[in-house]
Amino acid sequence: MKTSPVKLWRRQKDIISVIGKRGKILLWTIIRVPAKSFVDQAPYPVVIVRMDDGKKMVGQLVDYEKENLVAGQKVQAVLRRLKTEGKEDAIYYHIKFKPL
Amino acid sequence: MYSMKINILGTATTKFGELWDVSPRELAREAMHDALDASGLKPFQVDALFVGNMLSGILGNQTNLASLIVEELGAQVPAFRLEGACASGGLALHNAINSLNAGKYKTVLVLGLEKMTDHSQDEITSALSAAGSDEERMAGATFPGIYALMAQAYMREYNIDEETLATISVKNHYHGSLNPKAQFQSPITVADVMKSPKIADPLKLLDCSPVSDGASAVVITSDSSIKTKKPVSIIASEVATDTLSLYNRKSFTSLSAVVNASQKAYQEAGLKPTDVDVAEIHDCFSISEAIAVEDLGFSKKGEGAKDIAKNKMTLFKGKIICNPSGGLKACGHPVGATGIKQIVEITEQLRGEAGKRQVKSAKIGLAHNVGGSGAVAAIHILKGNS
Amino acid sequence: MSGIVAYGTYIPKYRLKLSEIAQMWGKESSEIESSLRISEKAVAGFDEDAVTMGIEAAKKAIEVAGIKPGDLQSVYFGSESHPYAVNPSSTIVGEYLGIGNNYFAVDLEFACKAATAGMQITLGLLDSKKIEYGLVVGSDTAQGKPHDALEYTAASAATAYILGGKKSEVIAQVLEMSSFTSDTPDFWRREGAKFPSHFGRFTGEPAYFTHVISEGEKLLKKSGLKPKDFAYCVFHMPNGKFPRVAAKKLGFTPEQLTPSLTVDKIGNPYSASSLLGLAAVLDIAKPKQKIFFVSYGSGAGSDGFIFETTPELLKKQKKIVPVSKQIENKIYISYQTYLRQTHIL
Repeated sequence: MKTSPVKLWRRQKDIISVIGKRGKILLWTIIRVPAKSFVDQAPYPVVIVRMDDGKKMVGQLVDYEKENLVAGQKVQAVLRRLKTEGKEDAIYYHIKFKPL
Repeated sequence: MYSMKINILGTATTKFGELWDVSPRELAREAMHDALDASGLKPFQVDALFVGNMLSGILGNQTNLASLIVEELGAQVPAFRLEGACASGGLALHNAINSLNAGKYKTVLVLGLEKMTDHSQDEITSALSAAGSDEERMAGATFPGIYALMAQAYMREYNIDEETLATISVKNHYHGSLNPKAQFQSPITVADVMKSPKIADPLKLLDCSPVSDGASAVVITSDSSIKTKKPVSIIASEVATDTLSLYNRKSFTSLSAVVNASQKAYQEAGLKPTDVDVAEIHDCFSISEAIAVEDLGFSKKGEGAKDIAKNKMTLFKGKIICNPSGGLKACGHPVGATGIKQIVEITEQLRGEAGKRQVKSAKIGLAHNVGGSGAVAAIHILKGNS
Repeated sequence: MSGIVAYGTYIPKYRLKLSEIAQMWGKESSEIESSLRISEKAVAGFDEDAVTMGIEAAKKAIEVAGIKPGDLQSVYFGSESHPYAVNPSSTIVGEYLGIGNNYFAVDLEFACKAATAGMQITLGLLDSKKIEYGLVVGSDTAQGKPHDALEYTAASAATAYILGGKKSEVIAQVLEMSSFTSDTPDFWRREGAKFPSHFGRFTGEPAYFTHVISEGEKLLKKSGLKPKDFAYCVFHMPNGKFPRVAAKKLGFTPEQLTPSLTVDKIGNPYSASSLLGLAAVLDIAKPKQKIFFVSYGSGAGSDGFIFETTPELLKKQKKIVPVSKQIENKIYISYQTYLRQTHIL
């Protein structure tokens, strides 16, 4: 997946409004055979979250322990680096979730 | 509502599998010419060509695909490529039928084609994630990952365990062992599925359809003057859509695109789910078939996996036989080809030409073809007229 | 008079025990731990960097300050692990905090004292009435070369300070501020090099101690105050030993120093180090207490401040997530995971 700095810039507003918001895990899985861009992060959990404002989101779960992988676990949206880019590429920041 | 009778003149499929020495052009040529031979037609007698394919652009850096395929057909007819991820084949057929109903063309060839094994697993996993959304891709959710989330929701809601889901792959491998064109022709057990490595929890390797090459073709006509020995007609062709991302859906355990398209199809054909004798189901993952048989009305909600585990859809034992070809799991899943392969299989079943995997007295068949995690569904109902 | 209005800190969840590092290289861990006086260090997550940590700390600071992000009129980001060599961290932070477009911004580098220099600049803007609120971030994902001495101490964390001038909002006034600066090549990192280099024992007397002690003595002289006039003292913490020695040399007691010693439990997060120690002190300080503060940045220089807490501190302490709580919120990782997580592998 090639990430464009223009896309990063265009999505800033969406991300600003989500950072720090809280929600609960609805569903989770652990990705063990990742796409190319995520090979160095695997295995990692992906969760569907229902935010406190009712909207649903999908994202990677970070800074977790095994007991956090359960429906109903409270999480918070945080800004993290999306993936490991090439040495000359722009850095893509993206929303991920961490357990509270 | 249309008024044309759409008849299938001839069908053909290549073997599905890791066909290292066969190029995409050769796959297309084999399927198309075998289908034309089976139809008793020459290339120039086809009015148009419809091609279903998902990955030629992403993996092969080749778009303008229909123009390439028409070179292999050997007649410069109008040609179109349709794409809807894994529903590309079904969408190609639906649009071909629309062109016949519109009276624009009379006899057309529909090809489903995919060449995947020229590329690494990493590349393929990345390419298949194009069927989902940006949000899902950036969450690192692979295509199996999305279905894994559905599996968790389904297992939790209906109290189903992994062993019950595993029986779906077992059934399909049993069917595949009776299909000379299938990628996998060896039976497997529930224990084999449980032992296989995890791909995205709870889905394991043997819960997932493989990477495959293959092509399937069908010639259809609205020209009632062309007689065939064992006529099979397409009596319903419906498509429905739903959100691209899984997380935006109303339900995580049902595909409303399938529910909607199949309800329209049953209505169009004037039939009920119980009228179906044989069905080809889009089992990209074991969970997909469990959910599908419920969405198609073959099983009550929550009973799909259990019904399959009880052999209610197994050859020689069940009532509505699902995936006699071996399904995507055992027959293989060259993405764009699957939707057309399903039509080939149903046609053989309705003509009584399915050999060792013949469903007894099959009169009505249904093909269920899904794109992505359920963003689009194409449902076709076929009737044997012999 | 200007001062600290609010602060926020962020310590990543992961810890690497020094004994894991020692075991890797066949060293005697108890010797190392007792000489450095550190037992474990904080390690950033695979997808964290100085900017993501800085945003976490800054968001907390804004909440404590009770201001709108748009009220911030300057952002200075001090680090020696800015994600880009060219492209400001300060504006990435500014954008994702939603502070708008009307602010002064620039990135700073001066080894471990980049952020305290940022505070000096911000105070200048405040005192000249160019701004009403300014944000200073000190954040690092410090790297130590495998098998090098720094591997035991280089850690990750972020601190964010909001400075302002309204009496009703300042929780710690700045009474005195100065710097002691020289060109001393004790520790450096060349462009493109992944790990810093240092000259061993040269980083002690001629570097850290010369600057910290000289600046400390300067502060005491300028203010006319004596060590016993202070409730707390905070020094840059490259390890657990140096600040203890510096405190003693300047005449402070262990009781005055101990609450600031975050290094013992999380190591040295470079630009966040001294400011994290200051935060730990502000977490527990009472009003009208004086705090003695001297940072150190290799290359070299020390920034000194004398702070005095105000009654406003008590109200804001209720909103703060204390440093001690974040220190205790941890998961231990193995040396292998550490190599993977810090992108060395």
